[in-house]
Amino acid sequence: MMNSPKLNFKDVKDWIMSSFFSSKLNSVLTVFSSLLLIYVISSLFGFLSSAEWEVVRINRRLLLLGRLPLEDTWRAWPILWVVCIILFSSIGAWGAPSKWELLLMSLAFILPTLIFFTMPHIWHVVVTFLICSISYLISRYFIKKSSYLVQAKKVLIVMWILILPLTFLILRVGGGPPPTLWGGFLLNILLASVAIVAGFPLGILLAVGRATKLPAIKTVCTIYIETIRGAPLVAWLLLAWFVLPKFLPNLFGLNEVSVVIRAMIVLSFFASAYIAEVIRGGLQSIPKGQLEAADALNLNYTSKLIVIILPQAIRVVIPAIVSTFIGMFKDTSLVFILALTDLLQVGRLIPEQDPKFFGRQIEALLVVASLFWIVSVSLSHVSSKLEKNLGIGTR
Amino acid sequence: MRNFFYSTMQWSRLQRNRNLAIQGVFLFFVIIFGLYLIFQAFELEISLSHFSSRAGFGLSHTFLTDYTSNDSRWNAYFTGVINTIRVCLVAILLTTILGTIMGVARLSKNFLISRIAWIYVEVLRNTPLLIQIIFWQIIFLQLPHISKAITFGSTSAISNRGILLPWMSTNTNGQLWLIFMGIIALASLSLSYFFNKREDKTGKRASILGFSISGNLLGILIFGLIGVITFFAFGQPLSLDFPLIHQNTKGTWLQSGGFELSPEFSAILFALVIYTGTFITEIVRGSIQALSKGQTEAAQAIGLSNYQVTSLVVLPQALRSIIPPLTNQYLNLTKNSSLAVVIAYPDLFMVSRTIMNNSGHALPVFFLILFTYLTLSLFISIVMNLINRRVTRIGT
Repeated sequence: MMNSPKLNFKDVKDWIMSSFFSSKLNSVLTVFSSLLLIYVISSLFGFLSSAEWEVVRINRRLLLLGRLPLEDTWRAWPILWVVCIILFSSIGAWGAPSKWELLLMSLAFILPTLIFFTMPHIWHVVVTFLICSISYLISRYFIKKSSYLVQAKKVLIVMWILILPLTFLILRVGGGPPPTLWGGFLLNILLASVAIVAGFPLGILLAVGRATKLPAIKTVCTIYIETIRGAPLVAWLLLAWFVLPKFLPNLFGLNEVSVVIRAMIVLSFFASAYIAEVIRGGLQSIPKGQLEAADALNLNYTSKLIVIILPQAIRVVIPAIVSTFIGMFKDTSLVFILALTDLLQVGRLIPEQDPKFFGRQIEALLVVASLFWIVSVSLSHVSSKLEKNLGIGTR
Repeated sequence: MRNFFYSTMQWSRLQRNRNLAIQGVFLFFVIIFGLYLIFQAFELEISLSHFSSRAGFGLSHTFLTDYTSNDSRWNAYFTGVINTIRVCLVAILLTTILGTIMGVARLSKNFLISRIAWIYVEVLRNTPLLIQIIFWQIIFLQLPHISKAITFGSTSAISNRGILLPWMSTNTNGQLWLIFMGIIALASLSLSYFFNKREDKTGKRASILGFSISGNLLGILIFGLIGVITFFAFGQPLSLDFPLIHQNTKGTWLQSGGFELSPEFSAILFALVIYTGTFITEIVRGSIQALSKGQTEAAQAIGLSNYQVTSLVVLPQALRSIIPPLTNQYLNLTKNSSLAVVIAYPDLFMVSRTIMNNSGHALPVFFLILFTYLTLSLFISIVMNLINRRVTRIGT
């Protein structure tokens, strides 16, 4: 951080002089940048004073859930509650949030609430708030102080992985809507989560394959990774649209799988190549002494890999995996190429549905962007927090 | 049987043989899978022969190729490739400049400047590129109509039909002069290379009228001098071409002359430059911070100004750790340029997709897309590796 001024007139004056007007060039830059700042802020206020959020207010269900039928929207709440329980338990179990993190967290919750708040749902919001605070307080003041903390943390990690199947269960149980009707923000989150969770095991295999000394396996893995990384994601999604149905064997009705599932398949394969590269970095960072020690214990290759190498490598790359998740999450907006109605696509289409919303694209786009932004910023914060917690680079 | 089993066990005791067996099994499955894919592909059209037929669709940007809808699909494809290369080249150039400036600004002692760079990175890195492309398109389409275009004197104009900038125009001698200047540039480059080498070896510098000057300066001097003299000798072959906005007799607004940046091109360019710039900012900042503080302090101790410290000591050294991740960002930028499809800028991807839709032969066109992007990536990697080799050289 910058050296902050103390409440002493001389210090403040000193700080301003040394920070803003230390040389001629610096003074000029200060003046220019403040002019730029004033211009940006004034145009932002100009926009906000003339903005009309009606287009977002009317379509908020579309933005969040896409074409999910009205009688199925209740399914979104249990998903949110499950995520909230696990999220806030984890926050409580892993550490006390700092002032900045509290600000970020409240922003992440208040902003969507402000945008999407409606009176009929007030009890749902109250329940969400209660669930969040109760699970935080329980884990902060009971789990954290109990002797089961280590076990509780392990349970939490398993629960994080189990969220995804649970979400599918909640969406499908009792005659839920088919995947073609999933959409909006829900679809973005689902696609990104599936891609990372399914791509992770494959990515590990690919990374290990690329790091082996066996030339055949190494070559195949390298070709796979480099080909996937060589072409843009939209091209691969296009492949899913045109070619994939013709290539899948006609078993179990695989040819008729919905576009959403096809997108998930392609995103998983795409993510696996990127995760493989990240894990490869982790494999290379393992000190040579570890391998020699494993050899000295007379471990064979498989147990060396599973017991010594992979745990350390994956531990090192967890923050980078979170970054990959952020990238995948942003990239899920590209499914417009498969004519899926994800958040961004809904945001683009809603100003066109009614002439009275003409020219309100920026408002819709701003809301879409802020939703993406909140998730990405929170996750990148989690990533840097993990980096500190795991002590990467300090040992 | 028992004997065979025993000998197999014996054979597999050797690590080398076991490796062979594992690879054999692996390759067997890969080949089975590959054969399956190939047999499936035989049922589809896999040749590119339909590319010679008439394309039948128009493109809005036909830079360098003068493509019309009567040309073949190959021509359409090459127009797309050129459009992609054009936007990528300009974007790579501009994003490097923006990222470097912002990366240095991020570390500035000036509170305001470092905060502005911080906000720029945090806000724009965390929103999808697609949103930014659509945002810039909306902005460029909301600019005033061409009849009320914002003009800066008569030099350039901004309207909803795009940005018009002044550009060079050549007369008949112009191309000849450009070729001539190219030769002179090569000659002066080799001249300064020769004098630099001689100075390294013997310490002797070139001297003109008793002033001793470095090889680089000599080259620039010669190039500039010959350039200025021949510029007039060729009868001013280059002149500035200012854009013109006018109405024809029917009242239609036309724009002519100058260099035209269409709204689509500007939108994709702005989005790519600004989005990739955030990542480059972080790369530059990280590399500068990784530099040991003693370097900066030593440079300050010998009395260099802040600008000199940055440009002569910090950046050249940081460049070594900047270039590998920078290459990655360039590759990302090239791949991300395919998102231009969303605002109908006819790049490689959009043209190929149109051909795919028109012809119905998806697979060969897909492989063509793959091949083209891999070639572009390979080209960028090669160039950046050459630069990297030069930068990481120890000594001179």
